[in-house]
Amino acid sequence: MNKDYILGVFKDEESLVSAFEKVKEKGILPVEVYTPYPVHEILEGMGNKTRISHAAFFFGLFSAIGVLAFMTYAAVFDWPLNYGGKPFNAFPSFIVVTIVTTILSITILTLFTFSARAKIFPGKVPEIIHERATDDRFVMVIDKDSLGNNAEAINSIISEFGEIE
Amino acid sequence: MYNSAVRGRLIEGDKSLGQISHEILAPVHAKTPGWWYFALLTALGMLGFGAFAIYITLSEGLGAWGINNSVAWGWDIINFVWWIGIGHAGTAFSIFLLILRQKWRTAINRAAEAMTVVAVLAASLFPLLHMGRPWLFFYIFPYPNTRGPLWVNFNSPLFWDFMAISAYLLISASFWYFGMLPDFATIRDTAKSKIKKAVYGIMAFGWTGSSREWLRFEGLSFVLGGIAAVLVVSVHSIVSTDFAVSVEVGWHTTIFPPYFVVGAIFSGFAMVLTLVVIMRGLYKMNDFITDSHIDAVCRVLIFISLIMATAYLTEIFVAWYSGSPYEIYMFFQNRIFGDYAFQFWAMFVSNALVPQLFWFKKMRRNIWVVFIVSIIINIGMWFERYNIIVTSLSRDYLPSSWVSYSPTWVEVGFFVGTIGLFITGILLFFRFIPMIAISELKSVAKFDKPRNEFKHAKHE
Repeated sequence: MNKDYILGVFKDEESLVSAFEKVKEKGILPVEVYTPYPVHEILEGMGNKTRISHAAFFFGLFSAIGVLAFMTYAAVFDWPLNYGGKPFNAFPSFIVVTIVTTILSITILTLFTFSARAKIFPGKVPEIIHERATDDRFVMVIDKDSLGNNAEAINSIISEFGEIE
Repeated sequence: MYNSAVRGRLIEGDKSLGQISHEILAPVHAKTPGWWYFALLTALGMLGFGAFAIYITLSEGLGAWGINNSVAWGWDIINFVWWIGIGHAGTAFSIFLLILRQKWRTAINRAAEAMTVVAVLAASLFPLLHMGRPWLFFYIFPYPNTRGPLWVNFNSPLFWDFMAISAYLLISASFWYFGMLPDFATIRDTAKSKIKKAVYGIMAFGWTGSSREWLRFEGLSFVLGGIAAVLVVSVHSIVSTDFAVSVEVGWHTTIFPPYFVVGAIFSGFAMVLTLVVIMRGLYKMNDFITDSHIDAVCRVLIFISLIMATAYLTEIFVAWYSGSPYEIYMFFQNRIFGDYAFQFWAMFVSNALVPQLFWFKKMRRNIWVVFIVSIIINIGMWFERYNIIVTSLSRDYLPSSWVSYSPTWVEVGFFVGTIGLFITGILLFFRFIPMIAISELKSVAKFDKPRNEFKHAKHE
């Protein structure tokens, strides 16, 4: 761990959230917060936004159009076959495959998007800040340079709710 | 948000977060118990028998099975539908209970999803082998080919089914795997042995639990959860159209899609119950899968069982009300009082009547009763598929095409093999993967502590 960071280590969600809010009141945003499970106050407070559901919507839209277009091309234009006198463009019965394939495309493309955006992929070497952050500790990482005159105050906030490491 | 107090505590014993990970990971970190090897050996034996049956099927052709021109679908399709039904537990548990905001799902969903993946894998073998020439299975895929290109029939439910099953397998497997990333990271960070650290480190994809990761992880779960909800309904509806669009007595009814979906969820929940009871017994997970969890699953089963009973009675009523002599023959003379009366009543009693025992709290709290009833439902659901497939096919419109059907040892061996595959999968799951979603369980642990309840309840 680079020595330019302060680690605030907390034992439960409540202390982390209280400390986090007090640190933010001082006008300082932690570099990163590591938790064993998602804490919504932190996710909101860190100010990041995810557009993964927007991305998923467009994946779905394009794959639905693509699949329908492909089936229409194959069954109506490229090689029309008469199945028991049914119309070539049997639109309602194309819908089933469209739904299933759309869901499949959304899933796979969203997983890749997640993988790319969250930088979670096979073979990645994790930067483990604190060994117990995936177990039972809540870790707040603060950049020392961002502290300015508040160093004392931040130290006392962290010590009030948890420990400095 | 709504927070139910009815269910009782989610985790017994007032555990700290460290204790939760420690206790759930105990089987992963502990030495492999002796019974595990014994069970694995038995399961592999069954799997080997199945592989031999498959070898016979491939080398001799489908003639090695008992199917014939009239009963073209036999044990293979019965077992296919049975396994797919069981494979509905994962999505039903994770997604429906997520939408219904049932926090007790967190203790069970991982096991249900694991079961789903193995069951769907087992199921997919049956249509594959039934093709006769499985090495040409890719003919069913619409790819540019040199035969025209001659495309597949997009109106055929068999093609829909192929798409639905492949998509379901891929989606449930990836949903399951990505849900495990945080837990793999926990194993990586708590493991003592270097090999374990390295292996789970690779499996964790570099997860650290930072807020950036969690934010996107939540987004991902939201998206996948939302769209996979459609799958719970669509997969078995599509399976049911394999039957319902053919003009066959007893199949050609509009009730089939909902009837199949409910049946699938029913058998899935029953198999989850079987598995969870075994898990509790073998690994002492009673604090996480509490009596009230079992109780909740049992209550869901009563509800679904009533829907099943309604579906059975509706089918019978409509057969009579239609006035069609063929339908009346099929339901009254063939199924209820005829040659297949045993299969019909086995289905009816196990699925519609036996689960009614769960109205009594005493029964829901008696783990042996719960276990035995869950097994009975599994068997009953197998008979349901037998009842649908064999009774209709063997007694067609034309008495000249009436035949009887009984499976050969090859078909039975194939089925035994898939059971072996399922048990093998479950044993590997027990040994190498956290059986309960640790991070999800931790996130609901706070609801057991009354002082936090109000403050955090709004975020669930």
